[in-house]
Amino acid sequence: MMARGIIASVGLAAFLALAVPAGAGTIAADADTTLDGFLDQLADSTSEYFGASAAPLDTAGLDSALVYGLAHPRARRTSLRPSFNPDFMFNRVDGPVYLLGMGIGAERSPGELRAEVGYASGPNDVLWQVRGTRSFRALGGRWRLAAGGGLATGSMDRERTGARLTSARAFLFGKDDNHYLRREGFDIGLQREAAFALVGVRYRDVDESPIATSAGWNLFRRPLSTYSNLAAYPGRAREFEYSALVKVDPFPAEAEVIHQTSGNAIGSDFEYRRTRVALSGNVGLAARATLMPQLVYGRLTGQALPQASFYLGGSRTMRSMSSSARGGTGFAQARLEVIGADDVLETLRIPHPAFLPLQIGVFGGVGAVWGVDPFGGPSRSGGDWPDREHWVSEAGVSLIYQPGFPSPTTLMRVNYAWPLGPERESSNFSVSISHAMDFLKTARD
Amino acid sequence: MHRPIPTALYNFSRPTLHGASIAGVILAATFAFAVAGPAEAQTSGPTVAREDTMHTQVSEVLVRAPRVTLDEILDRVARGEARRESLIVDQQFIASFRLVRPAGSKGDTATILSERVMRVYKKKPNHVRTVMLREYERDRRKGNAEVNVDFRGGMDEEIVNFAFRPEARRDFRYRIVGRDFVGGHLIYRIEFSPKSPLDRTQPSGLVWVDTNEFVIVRQEVKFDRSPVPLFIKNVERMVIERKKYGEHWVMSRAMIRIASSIKLPKLGKGFDFSLRFDQYVMNAGIDDAIFREGTGR
Repeated sequence: MMARGIIASVGLAAFLALAVPAGAGTIAADADTTLDGFLDQLADSTSEYFGASAAPLDTAGLDSALVYGLAHPRARRTSLRPSFNPDFMFNRVDGPVYLLGMGIGAERSPGELRAEVGYASGPNDVLWQVRGTRSFRALGGRWRLAAGGGLATGSMDRERTGARLTSARAFLFGKDDNHYLRREGFDIGLQREAAFALVGVRYRDVDESPIATSAGWNLFRRPLSTYSNLAAYPGRAREFEYSALVKVDPFPAEAEVIHQTSGNAIGSDFEYRRTRVALSGNVGLAARATLMPQLVYGRLTGQALPQASFYLGGSRTMRSMSSSARGGTGFAQARLEVIGADDVLETLRIPHPAFLPLQIGVFGGVGAVWGVDPFGGPSRSGGDWPDREHWVSEAGVSLIYQPGFPSPTTLMRVNYAWPLGPERESSNFSVSISHAMDFLKTARD
Repeated sequence: MHRPIPTALYNFSRPTLHGASIAGVILAATFAFAVAGPAEAQTSGPTVAREDTMHTQVSEVLVRAPRVTLDEILDRVARGEARRESLIVDQQFIASFRLVRPAGSKGDTATILSERVMRVYKKKPNHVRTVMLREYERDRRKGNAEVNVDFRGGMDEEIVNFAFRPEARRDFRYRIVGRDFVGGHLIYRIEFSPKSPLDRTQPSGLVWVDTNEFVIVRQEVKFDRSPVPLFIKNVERMVIERKKYGEHWVMSRAMIRIASSIKLPKLGKGFDFSLRFDQYVMNAGIDDAIFREGTGR
């Protein structure tokens, strides 16, 4: 009955509405007024909540200020005041490095220039770097141009990150298993950012040379975890790099492809092709946790240079192994990780300051390197894929702090990982700072 | 004068947005309710007489039109927002920004720490000029609470529609939580939340969408966890409002109240940040010369 009555009312209403077409404009205006009233009502409640923050603007004097402002334009408010920062780094090839950095400008406008000069007290070398970056909008998208050059110590593992933590560990406890080389030259790269992808091209022209260990000490006088430094193959590397980071719609995942090519045709002393493909997923589990499956596959063909090889071990790859424990011309790894969203201290009712929410993560992974061993050992068998015996596996837990910067998914973590299976290194405790999806080399955010 | 729509009628309107007949009837009903009120107050011009004793019977109609899906609504919102943006060629407005220490529990009053007022000129594709009209710092010497806001070109108002852009659909889940019938407007309330809790800075929230134009007219944003726990304990409330100027919906206010994790210099344990946009002039044909001086970019 109720429904019939309503329908009858609606019918009557329709009739009446049709009968008064002349008033339609007024009615539409009323409808808009009604919507305004509805929104104003919500806005009033907002204003009440925010109080003085929502108070209306005092407009007195604004008109004359506008006339003056238009007649007297201000200069662009970009600060060109340079900033200076002293820095300190340490590794076993350079020893203590005393650095002074200088920066000027801003990347968006007019561009940023950073320079750094340092004294490596081990080999008594002066190291320096200059890098300029400029991002701009053109052709309907955002672009980033970066160019730089200098003489610097670099890692043999081209995917390695977290140099600062490694430096601190090496200085305090002598724990640094990475291998280093010297690079002198320049590089220039251009990136284009779109809604679903980030693509880039980069050219580098550098002299690569080996460097020997010169600092066998550390602050707490512990024995060095690794003393010798793997020698780089000397020569001039001219290389083109093509990269793409793509969102894999509709799946919550991102894929990255990086291809590097170097050859005599472009005046390089080296002849190789290096390709690395990674896939990282980010699946929410009922807003309480995140499931992150990650895969990576890499191949180096041509000259098997140590400085172009792939390395396995360390917090970014296999956390139960020490950094760069194994190397090869082929590389494959898979990791499955679950990171809880809740503050574990709060869950356990442990009193703690608000700025210290800690999360728990668990992970498991498998990985392998195969092909020519850059450390000079026998080659590990396998073609496009490693033979079964070269796979290693692990499981572990992490205590995670997510500061929200410098990128929203930066994770500071303490990991404890156990090797699975026979004939493996012992369990490993590690500290790392990295993006959550650390198989992706290109930082999107 | 608008008369509230009975709840039952509201329920009746729920089955579909798609069926033009029902939408038409609802619209007509609204017109009628709107007309019925002010009729008595009119003093001149034609009036509509209503015969109270007249009864009519309308047979029930089973509507078979498919119900609009959430995906279709989201598609329309994306298109509506894109259309809104496309219709604006240039705009000028007064923008004001305030940093306020809100009234505390101990009875101290709210204090405006910083205020900036500027006239902003924007023109497609990427021209911006700002003219500073007022700068206020409660304590300029210490300068800890200075507000600096940059405008960028474009009319897209990403702060309003970030969760409803086509590229954001993969990152958020959506749910219709209600419908309000206001005047001739059906307003959908759509809740959004990030699919993954990995990124602390991705908020969840609630938007009000006017289905006449499929434009977001209001948004309340919340963060389930602090986006930057080192400094921010939690975001207590964040509201973004739009207003219609002429034919164009534009942002009118954004207000945020933040509780800090630690006692910040000058700000204490929390602060409000408000942005207000007033006195819009749309598509007035701003001369390009205005962008060749000052802070134009």
